[in-house]
Amino acid sequence: MRLSAALCSYAGCPSELALAAATVGSALRQLEPSHPRLYRSICQESGAVRPHVNLFLNSDRIDELNGMDTRLQSGDILTVLPAVSGGTPCRNG
Amino acid sequence: MPERVILSVGTKKGLFVAEASRNRGGFDLRGPFGAGAPVDATLIDRRGAPRIYASSRNMFFGMKILVSTNLGRNFRETGSAPAFSKEDGRTLINVWALEAGAAEGELLSGVEPAALFRSRDGGDSWEMDSAISNHRHTPHWQPGGGGLCLHTIVRSENRVHLGISTGGHYLSEDGGETFDAFNQGIAAAFLPDPYPEFGQCVHKIAIHPDNPERLYIQNHGGFPEHPGIGVLRSDDRGRSWRSIAEGLPSDFGLPILVHPHDPDTVYVVPLEPMTRTCPGGAPAIWRSQEGGGSWNRLDRGLPERESYFTVLRDAIDFDRLASPALYFGTTTGQLWMGRDGGEDWNCLFHSLPPIHCLKAAVV
Repeated sequence: MRLSAALCSYAGCPSELALAAATVGSALRQLEPSHPRLYRSICQESGAVRPHVNLFLNSDRIDELNGMDTRLQSGDILTVLPAVSGGTPCRNG
Repeated sequence: MPERVILSVGTKKGLFVAEASRNRGGFDLRGPFGAGAPVDATLIDRRGAPRIYASSRNMFFGMKILVSTNLGRNFRETGSAPAFSKEDGRTLINVWALEAGAAEGELLSGVEPAALFRSRDGGDSWEMDSAISNHRHTPHWQPGGGGLCLHTIVRSENRVHLGISTGGHYLSEDGGETFDAFNQGIAAAFLPDPYPEFGQCVHKIAIHPDNPERLYIQNHGGFPEHPGIGVLRSDDRGRSWRSIAEGLPSDFGLPILVHPHDPDTVYVVPLEPMTRTCPGGAPAIWRSQEGGGSWNRLDRGLPERESYFTVLRDAIDFDRLASPALYFGTTTGQLWMGRDGGEDWNCLFHSLPPIHCLKAAVV
């Protein structure tokens, strides 16, 4: 798993993690006990990926593959990046 | 160490901490902490060694609670932020309130979607308070302009008053074990029945510890067909409410607060209802020294024209010195200080990010 610098800074984790998992969902679930801050930064309470976070398997968005059920193979790189989604209005006016 | 005046200032781009001596001759500014992430709730906890808490809402990676034990020289993340259980199904959007609880180390947090969380270890772990968070009214609450949020927590002995937009005013008289809606006299002019049991868009609730029978509410006003519903007072611990808006230029506003040394002196920031900015572009704080019986405009030192900002519900506070200063922050990033309870204003900082919340304390 490859993590953006912003996420590493926010969650206090290294930029790369080696995981053994059969699917994307399984890889994320492994993070919950081992790297709880990182898990909470990627996933909401429900387990869904946060709306402004994108996951890529190699160069493809997992949403365009099979989502959390996307199968992983040895050597795959799962990249976690914040979305380009700035400029949202302040909502507490 | 001599007493210091501390301001914890939550902005759209992180938290700032300003510090001055008791004469408030000049404030030094530190920050931003949690840079880039909006801060909508902060607390200066003066129980024991002072601690500054702040929410930090990273739009990508979620919520954190930050804490400082050295008056804002640096901050660390607490063990966790409030979060719903997987089984609950709700997803935390924001933290809107941080308040000291009854017990040592206890914190209370109001969140969006509207729910109450409690920490017994200074913010390292949190549990949801089901009495209000799973109240039978919960499925019927609707989001106001700021979202569906529990934004106000007011404690007085064994009573806990909550403000929910839009849910209204809820009161527990058993320390938070049970809550009931008490909204008699609080209007919801945006509903077909303007006086429902619950569903009001309460903006802020204020109380003074010397007179816990008396409460004040800034409610969602600004409706020509329902004049005066925006600023209200209760003299029976929040069970019923009546208007005290007569004499104000607008009954729309977000904050309301009580003078730290006088339960009869109450302050509001009237805003033009459609733009939610200063009426006529001339900002003023309005003060009643008669519990809302009459109002006076406080504007000495404030701009006289061409100022169209908003003061958000938690962006105003007093220090507690003998002659207290009142501070408010604006959505245009100005931080103002009004000496002698708001009699005489000067701008401490002109160009901060939009200010969401502000707490003041003498430590």
